[in-house]
Amino acid sequence: MIVAVVAVVAVVVVVVLVGATAAARNRRPTDDIASFRRQIDALSPEARRQTSDRMNPSEQPSTGDDGADEI
Amino acid sequence: MARDLAIDLGTANTLVYMKGRGIVLNEPSVIALNRQTGEVLATGREAWQMIGRTPGYIVAVRPLRGGAITDFEITERMIRLLLQRVGVSRFTRPKVVICVPSAITEVERRAVTDAARRAGAADANLIEQPMAAAIGADLPIDEPVGNMVIDIGGGTSETAVISLGGIVALEAVRVGSFDIDAAIQNYVRREHGIAIGERTAEEIKVAIGSADPTPDENQAEVRGRDLMTGLPKTVLLTPEEVRYAIEDVVSSIVASVIRCLSKAPPELSQDFLVRGMYLVGGGGLLRGLAERIERETEVPVKMSNVPLEAVVLGAGHVIEHYEALKGMFMGARR
Repeated sequence: MIVAVVAVVAVVVVVVLVGATAAARNRRPTDDIASFRRQIDALSPEARRQTSDRMNPSEQPSTGDDGADEI
Repeated sequence: MARDLAIDLGTANTLVYMKGRGIVLNEPSVIALNRQTGEVLATGREAWQMIGRTPGYIVAVRPLRGGAITDFEITERMIRLLLQRVGVSRFTRPKVVICVPSAITEVERRAVTDAARRAGAADANLIEQPMAAAIGADLPIDEPVGNMVIDIGGGTSETAVISLGGIVALEAVRVGSFDIDAAIQNYVRREHGIAIGERTAEEIKVAIGSADPTPDENQAEVRGRDLMTGLPKTVLLTPEEVRYAIEDVVSSIVASVIRCLSKAPPELSQDFLVRGMYLVGGGGLLRGLAERIERETEVPVKMSNVPLEAVVLGAGHVIEHYEALKGMFMGARR
């Protein structure tokens, strides 16, 4: 009984590994193209506008007064 | 569920961008500790005000130098406290994108990601500061044209050529605006015989520091401790003296920009003459620096509209479009 269970588990593991390897090998070039396209689209000015609009103005450092600055 | 975060973990300041909200924190990267008990007394702006003004049992430190972690444990505690301030708890663990100098080593990268994970992040990925700066400064890096960005931070200065979402050429030196402060401190000590603190040196830089002569220059009265008598003393410092004091640091930054230009492919080089280079980072605010780089490279230099926030805004954009842009993380497939 135990031997049968171990055998079934081993078969399942082998099938999963073979399936994963096959899927990795069958990765189509169009996947890479689509991924690159998505990256470029996400970097477009339109896509970035929303992020830029979310900036909160921060304090700028003081540049001193006229005349001799006291430090 | 916590909102994901982008962190610009700078030598001088730490900025945090929260997904869907924007910049939620902008504080100096300083932590004040009780030397005897190790207890944290203050972080950020409050700790920065303590630098050089603490009694013996308190120490106010910057746990990053040259863009890298110098004290892992203190950095982790500082990140943990900063994350707590933006709502991260042990039950809400966000994904985090952290901007780091491109020149840091594998060990230093691991230290940053480990510190962020131990401070409460569910996952931590790194992105090069010049790339984040180019995204945040709204440069058209999605196009096949040469975009050049010069990021001058507290501890590092990096110049990168970016086209089609990738870095084409890169040059980094571990020199930044803190080295300018240190050069001023050394000059005043050597030439005027008075000791000044790092905050005073920074104030001199902001008040009269410049990389090239500028109109309307003023002298500055500098107060410190006379090294001979030990008494408080005031001296007058001229802009020419400050330029002389910081010349080595400025030359080193300009030289790295020139090296990066020389690495760029010719097709992209010609773009710089038309489009110019973009200056970001707090160090880029030094008066006359843009003019000095422009004079020595003969390429126009423009200041970004958001010099201090460009890096975190760029990383924030990556966190907003995480799935599409995760290929830009350091170590990811290019």
